[in-house]
Amino acid sequence: MPIRLIVAVLAAFLMASAMSLVTSRHRARGLFADLEAAQQLARQSEAEGNRLRIDLGRAAQPAAIEVAARRLGMRPIDPEHTTLLPPAARPASP
Amino acid sequence: MKQSPESGRPRTLGGAAGRRKRRSGDSALAAGNPLLQVRLPAWRSRLLLFGLFCGFVALAGRAFYLQGGVSTQFLQRQGEARYARTLDVAATRGTITDRNGVVLASSVPARGVWAIPDDVEAGKRDLAQLARLLDVPSGELRRRLADDRTFVYLKRQVEPGVAQRIESFNLAGIHTSREFRRLYPEGAITAQLLGFTDVEDRGQDGIELAFERILGGRPGLRHLIKDRLGRAVEDDWVREPIEGRDIRLSIDNRIQYIAFSALRAAVEANQAQGGSIVVLDVESGEILALTNWPSFDPARRDRMEPQKLRNRAVTDTFEPGSTLKPFSIATALEAGVVMPQSTVQTAPGSMRLGGHTITDTSSHGVLTVEQVLAKSSNVGTAKIALQLPAQALWDTLTAVGFGQAPHAGLTGAVTGRLRPPQSWRPIEQATIAYGYGVSVSLLQLARAYLVFARDGDIVPVSVMRADSPAAAVPVLRPQTAQAVRRMLELATSDEGTAPSARVSGYPVAGKTGTARKLRDGRYSDAYVASFVGFAPASDARVVIAVMIDEPHGGHYFGGDVAAPVFSQVAAGTLRALQIAPQAHALALAATEAATEAR
Repeated sequence: MPIRLIVAVLAAFLMASAMSLVTSRHRARGLFADLEAAQQLARQSEAEGNRLRIDLGRAAQPAAIEVAARRLGMRPIDPEHTTLLPPAARPASP
Repeated sequence: MKQSPESGRPRTLGGAAGRRKRRSGDSALAAGNPLLQVRLPAWRSRLLLFGLFCGFVALAGRAFYLQGGVSTQFLQRQGEARYARTLDVAATRGTITDRNGVVLASSVPARGVWAIPDDVEAGKRDLAQLARLLDVPSGELRRRLADDRTFVYLKRQVEPGVAQRIESFNLAGIHTSREFRRLYPEGAITAQLLGFTDVEDRGQDGIELAFERILGGRPGLRHLIKDRLGRAVEDDWVREPIEGRDIRLSIDNRIQYIAFSALRAAVEANQAQGGSIVVLDVESGEILALTNWPSFDPARRDRMEPQKLRNRAVTDTFEPGSTLKPFSIATALEAGVVMPQSTVQTAPGSMRLGGHTITDTSSHGVLTVEQVLAKSSNVGTAKIALQLPAQALWDTLTAVGFGQAPHAGLTGAVTGRLRPPQSWRPIEQATIAYGYGVSVSLLQLARAYLVFARDGDIVPVSVMRADSPAAAVPVLRPQTAQAVRRMLELATSDEGTAPSARVSGYPVAGKTGTARKLRDGRYSDAYVASFVGFAPASDARVVIAVMIDEPHGGHYFGGDVAAPVFSQVAAGTLRALQIAPQAHALALAATEAATEAR
């Protein structure tokens, strides 16, 4: 009789363990899929970041700035319009 | 109650008795049918049973064979074929930035659109739409799809957005794959310096090629298991990808732009063949700008012309002419043959030597050594150089890097030509002293001037941003370098050949060069105008070398063609580097400008 009981208990454990294995496997796969998606997103974001850096570079190109500055009526520095202040004449920083 | 069917008393038919009666009738029928009377031998059923048993044994054996460890590969292979995929994982190519972190070259994801022509079942409208999205003529697209190969690329390096739209059509036989596209935000400005990559994102020229080992990573291999919905559920790296590393150049993109735009304007204004500019940092030997014109747009592969791809400042040599004179004078000063104030008779502006005539542009009469350089007298330089042993001149020219390729990390760097002194005849020694009979690249020339800008020592040039100062190699005594520096400053005065090299607010020093070009072994009427100088003269921060090839705009002297470009580039560079102008020089320039305006 006790042997039968032991077998029954072990069988129940076996079943429970099998079920938990299946469940954990299922969860692991779900998590892996999430991880994949997140990594994909990270890659995409990085690529987008790269692209934005390039766009920033393009926008900050000296050539682009020069064109924009000329449009605003600015012009390059020339000595006639340059005044050098001696160190003492510099306004004190607040 | 066992009774023979035949032995029966008369009974009423009906009820249970009737049913029995009918069954008895059937038995009677069976008994009457000879076929049904055949008795099957017992062995037949046993045989059948045995056959079934054997079948099951065979199945069990097969199952054991496949799964029990004897030959498990077969099923595993079949399973893998259904659920496992091995994918190439591309490594991203490193980014190239300038010294301040501005992106000069970077890879962004793109898609390659490809087709299996036999599988393509697309209507005319679909194809037209595809052609429009790919920006390929419909005829060309149809021609490619008519190909009998099993795989054709329709277009590579397509924008991901466009590829997504193509994927959304769900056309049979049209597929996309992951790849990268290299972008160069500065375009033509850095084109020859950076070079370019092929469609596989491998370096082909310039920095891209020279630093391929750092920039190009190694693609990885990844083993994936997918579920029946196609989602990845397990993975395993066969080989992890190694991402390309970024590199930081010594280039300053602002100075690069200043040099590029000044050069382009000068080449166009002088109707020249081309030109180059090199800007070096005096302290570290770093290349701050290196640009050539004509240039190309790296984004438009179809318009690339081979002659525009060359990084001329590094790969092309020319006879430097007068820009080499300071080295001859410095050697003479170093050897104690002359002093800065020693005099040389240059009248009548020409001299005969070994059957050849050396001439000046005009007769200058008696000149001090300082003036020989300032006025760029060939006769004076030749006379001074002839007092030197050939070996001494060769030693100086070699020590400043002529005749050797500069190890700057640039592809195609040439050595130039400097023959050994044993083979120099006197006329050659004289011509070499004023820059003929030797050939140099502009980068070599710019580097050599570091020796005057830096009190007599020289550092290697580099296109990579240097973190630690380079080791300097002494070539001249500091006093000699300072003396030549003063002479070079004099050359940019009203008295010298290059007043147009001056920069308002900063004293500058430098030397012009105007050299005839060799064509088929003869000196032609084509010139190379050059100017190499540094600024500010007394405490030099940058060396700037300008070369304009074959100016045809009426001027061809270095002082008229190249010196103004130097002035423009120096002004912009010093401002970009935030070097304070010197008050007296600025005041002087302002007065001059005001006088001119009046």
